[in-house]
Amino acid sequence: MTDPKNVLHLDHLTMQFGGVVAVNDLTMDINEGEIVALIGPNGAGKTTAFNAVTGIYAPTNGEISFHGTPIVRNHPCGKMRKLYAGTNADLYKDRVLRPTPDQITRLGIARTFQNIRLFSGMTVFENVLTARHLRRTSNFITAGLHLNGKEEALMRERSLALLDTVGLADVRDEMAVSLPYGRQRLLEIIRALATDPTLLLLDEPAAGMNPQETMELGQFIRQIKKDFNLTVFIIEHHMDLVMNISDRIYVIEFGRQIAEGTPAQVQNDPAVIAAYLGGDAE
Amino acid sequence: MWKTVFPYMLSGISVGGQYALIAIGYTMVYGILRLINFAHGDVFMVAGILMVYMATALPLYITIPLVLLLTSLIGFLIERTAYRPLRSAPRMSAMISAIGVSYTLQNLVLYATGGLNQFYPKIPFISDSVRITGATTTMVTVITPFLTLLLAGILVMLINRTKLGMAMRAVSKDFETSLLMGIKIDRVISATFVIGSFLAAVGSVLYFTNYSTVIQTSGAMPGLKAFVAAVFGGIGSIPGAVIGAFLIGICENLIKGLDVILFRLGLIAKPLGLATFSDAFTFALLIVILVVKPTGLFGEEHTDKV
Amino acid sequence: MSALIVFAFYAAVFIAEQKLPPTSMLFTVLKKGAVYALVAVSMNLLNGFTGIFSLGQAGFMLVGAYTYAILTIPVAARASVYQYFNGGMIQFTVPFVVALLLAGCAAAVFAWLIGLPVLRLKSDYLAIATLGFAEITRAIFQWNQLGPLTNGSNMLRLFPIFNDFNIKDASGTVAVYLSTMMPMLIAGLCIALLVLLINSTYGRALRAIKDNEIAAEAMGINLASHKQLAFCVSSFFTGIAGAMLAMYQTSVQAKSFTSAMTYEILLIVVIGGVGSVTGSCLSSFLFVACSEWWLRFLDEKQFINGFEVPLLRNGFRLVVFSIIIMIVVLFFRRGIMGTKELPDLFKRRRAKEATPHD
Repeated sequence: MTDPKNVLHLDHLTMQFGGVVAVNDLTMDINEGEIVALIGPNGAGKTTAFNAVTGIYAPTNGEISFHGTPIVRNHPCGKMRKLYAGTNADLYKDRVLRPTPDQITRLGIARTFQNIRLFSGMTVFENVLTARHLRRTSNFITAGLHLNGKEEALMRERSLALLDTVGLADVRDEMAVSLPYGRQRLLEIIRALATDPTLLLLDEPAAGMNPQETMELGQFIRQIKKDFNLTVFIIEHHMDLVMNISDRIYVIEFGRQIAEGTPAQVQNDPAVIAAYLGGDAE
Repeated sequence: MWKTVFPYMLSGISVGGQYALIAIGYTMVYGILRLINFAHGDVFMVAGILMVYMATALPLYITIPLVLLLTSLIGFLIERTAYRPLRSAPRMSAMISAIGVSYTLQNLVLYATGGLNQFYPKIPFISDSVRITGATTTMVTVITPFLTLLLAGILVMLINRTKLGMAMRAVSKDFETSLLMGIKIDRVISATFVIGSFLAAVGSVLYFTNYSTVIQTSGAMPGLKAFVAAVFGGIGSIPGAVIGAFLIGICENLIKGLDVILFRLGLIAKPLGLATFSDAFTFALLIVILVVKPTGLFGEEHTDKV
Repeated sequence: MSALIVFAFYAAVFIAEQKLPPTSMLFTVLKKGAVYALVAVSMNLLNGFTGIFSLGQAGFMLVGAYTYAILTIPVAARASVYQYFNGGMIQFTVPFVVALLLAGCAAAVFAWLIGLPVLRLKSDYLAIATLGFAEITRAIFQWNQLGPLTNGSNMLRLFPIFNDFNIKDASGTVAVYLSTMMPMLIAGLCIALLVLLINSTYGRALRAIKDNEIAAEAMGINLASHKQLAFCVSSFFTGIAGAMLAMYQTSVQAKSFTSAMTYEILLIVVIGGVGSVTGSCLSSFLFVACSEWWLRFLDEKQFINGFEVPLLRNGFRLVVFSIIIMIVVLFFRRGIMGTKELPDLFKRRRAKEATPHD
């Protein structure tokens, strides 16, 4: 049914909070090796869509599939039945799937956050090391008694190697929040990579960066995509970055998709220009 | 049957009203500061002790207002010294400070009294016996529910009709924005503590007239139960706290009498000692509420943005 | 370096115990301090490292104390202890170590059951819910209907206590005093196990949960199972500490395990520094020393030139103590050690403290 190379498929995804429909009947595809961007004005529902994919919210309606297998599924029930303002309410009446975020991460989907969420009480190294915890094979007794020496050593080795790829190895014993903003963002991406994902979700990674840093970030994203065999799904407002690295772009406004296509197609789409890019966009 | 149950219901309504007066203090403070004022029950106890000491030297028509005044002052001072400095600290610190104040108050009273039971003065009129449909009780039992509802009613009017009340509502909805809007937060918070302590003092007069002995641990259980009442009713809601308190008071007393009631009903042959669980019932209720509907009867839901 | 200090400390305690009179207050402080240190570190694991503000410690200590006592009262003595309940329903004993372990396990089982509904509550509500469960537990253990097992509201006594570990020679006099070393060793071993857990990958996961729950979950850390882990492990050791408290007090009665006991432990943890194991240990001993020993003089009437010094009488010690605690809570919020541990004192001063950018 779906392309065997399909990594993520959102099917009629709707998120409604009380009376507000934040994401409205979104259907999207992300295929292996692509960098797909999700853009749109503020409040369009982009982060909400991310949150539905990563399990922070259960969608009001719809299904999300990963590598062809459904991982999230829900339909309006209880109070929401009456309030539901969207379409296709009965599409997913059968088995509901509501995994917790950690289960989603374990499947291979990792993310960063719009507002940086590093572990502020930990060092740079510890931040990455903690993200290796989910791939442990020990239990709390073997680990608690330090009988898992080899596993621990491997974790540390891997974390250090990851830090090396961005040049953060030399500051590894500094407190994570003492890094400059741009490097904190890099650290957050590295931390997400430490969970061994196949799909990486980046929520406004270039926020607060200057043009030079943004360009370097673009190169970085391309590099890690290659080195770690990733598929990347990115929310961004920096149009130069988006147009530069994306293979395809989805545009949403008020929770609805209004356009989809390659950077060139989207840039020239009149609906997108009217809603977001502006009349005489560069 | 009714004759067996009625006395327990009466004392339940009475103690429920007294708990309500304490519970209002908890719910108001939590609504505004998100702080569980662990010391509130001990302020209630201190009011009782103050009355014991002052009644030996001064006539009652002076001591009663004096106790009310002093207790309100104590509540005000506690907020100023132990909570205000920690307002910008993590919430845990303020809670720990509250526990520390509670510890201090209990030790102060222990020191002053030597740990011996203090006997509450007999206040004429309210300690008079009264018969209601065959059950003998004191005037306190009759007065308490009415007084509680009256005071709670006045307070609700204050909150809904006065400027101070509006400020209180604003602060409990959104602390920071209220600050930005120029509301004098310090005054609002002090007023909250003063009102709460005043009501607790009234409650203590009623409560100790019935219970008659005061020691340093007298405030712990009533305080805890009043807090459960506040949570049950929906933290931040005054009517909720009052309803919760009456419910707890009634159920607690029914359980105390459960052995007798079941025996009279012919359901058990000998006492099961179920009275031990009258306190535990309150906590069981708390846990059920927290698991089923944590926002309580009249509380509001609120989701966090990620 | 820190290992050396700890070893030296234990050696000093051992020697002191042989040299000083056994009734010296020093040993009371060391014994009670050891018990409190274990509870404090357990509470710190839960509160300081995982961020779960639980106030149920007294309840778990109660479970541990009773389990230990019930399983170790000599069969011959049961008739007199359980005098109102025909000698009680348990007519066997288990070896000391087994009893301790079972004490911990019983507490851990209680914790697991309580944790199911309670761990997903917000911190304030979790505090009150755990407090409530502790009170319910206390009511259950006081219930006379359970008397054949728990002796109802009566005391449990005559179980093995610390003094039983003194090695006696043929004539019955004590050859080697071990009554203080035993609790110190037991507490030390348990605390060492806790430290190992904290320094493992699970420890990092727990710290991540306290730090930023949403990020921790996004990094693959299952909140429910890890919180249960912290809760059960903490309660396991709290149960063992309860058993040790029983041995220290030589008798156990449910009604003494009030929430006041939990508050004391909380204050100890805060004074020592939330998030510091060393701090919890240090402040336990300081707390017990101050409240039982050093400030005792404040409780006695003092006379200077025939004039009685005002204020000094029974109970003043606790008042002064409470005021000291308030001062620490208000002005030294980070406690004695902050979040540092013993080894950190020997490292060269780190260049940066966290100065968040942005």
